[in-house]
Amino acid sequence: MNVRAVPVIALALTLGLSGCATEGKSAAERTVERFYTAVRDHDGQRACTLLAPEAVEGLRTGGEVCAKAVLGLDLPGGQVRETAVWGDEAQVRLTHDTVFLHRFPLGWLVRAAGCRSRGDLPYSCEVKT
Amino acid sequence: MRRFVRDNALSLFFLVAFLLAVVGQSVAGVADANADQLANGGSAVSWWQYVTSSDFAVDVAENWQSEYLQFLLFIVITVWLVQRGSPESKKPGEEGTGSDAEQKVGRHTVPGSPEWAGATGLRQTLYGNSLGLLMGAIFVLSWLAQAVAGTASYNRRQLSQLQDPVSLGGYVASPDFWNRTLQNWQSELLAVLSMVVLSIYLRQRGSPESKPVGTPHEETSTEN
Repeated sequence: MNVRAVPVIALALTLGLSGCATEGKSAAERTVERFYTAVRDHDGQRACTLLAPEAVEGLRTGGEVCAKAVLGLDLPGGQVRETAVWGDEAQVRLTHDTVFLHRFPLGWLVRAAGCRSRGDLPYSCEVKT
Repeated sequence: MRRFVRDNALSLFFLVAFLLAVVGQSVAGVADANADQLANGGSAVSWWQYVTSSDFAVDVAENWQSEYLQFLLFIVITVWLVQRGSPESKKPGEEGTGSDAEQKVGRHTVPGSPEWAGATGLRQTLYGNSLGLLMGAIFVLSWLAQAVAGTASYNRRQLSQLQDPVSLGGYVASPDFWNRTLQNWQSELLAVLSMVVLSIYLRQRGSPESKPVGTPHEETSTEN
């Protein structure tokens, strides 16, 4: 093997692909801010357009429509404290809440919101896929 | 052209087989990743997105590091340790790096010796250990790549399962990192052990990795 090829391969693997986190962070944060603004404005219709399809399905259980159900949940929100983006998944920590998002072909959508930590177990969430 | 292919057939065979295997891995991998994504409410990714993802990188790197570790150990440890009867070993009593005359270095070079074999000091030391050094460097870089890509892949899974991501240090201390690492190491070490021991008693006619068929079991370092 060509000696010069080694650092190139290593760099390619190392950069591998942690992705363009900064761009993803701000886009994910914008989706979260728009979602909580819609909830605060009691605009359930708009809030539901920012939810992942399976999260919308989850809110339909019991015959209630998403737009109504989402406004009845405990979603305290707050200021963005920290955002982590790994691949097509993101976690946005707010002052009183944690949100998980997935990057779909048309942009970031909320997979889970109103989440509370349970240590090593998955977060317990008001909305989830 | 025909002569080039014949003279390099062994390298060309493994190069082509490697490329086919890595393409096959990427095709099977993207199908597996997409099945996982859809089951978790996510969206499918393209082949290109998959081969530039941390999931693919960690799967490649974890195998690379273990293979290069295997060859590094085999190259370096056989300088000092022998196995009586194995064609992969030097004869008992020949342990060590050998004299300059045996190694054809310094003033003992012969026509056609590599230039750095005739050098002295650091250049001769570097060239005299260049195979192990390069194998070791690729091992370290692949293992580092496994750690970095593994952190990204692990954190993507953590987030998809509504769990917190971890730091690089947290990942290197995690069961996932060591499970991936050790499951590869154990298989490579077993393969070397099998090669060293089985080649004492078994033969593969015509293979340079085997002793000639009629060679006694006790005879060491007699490759075809």
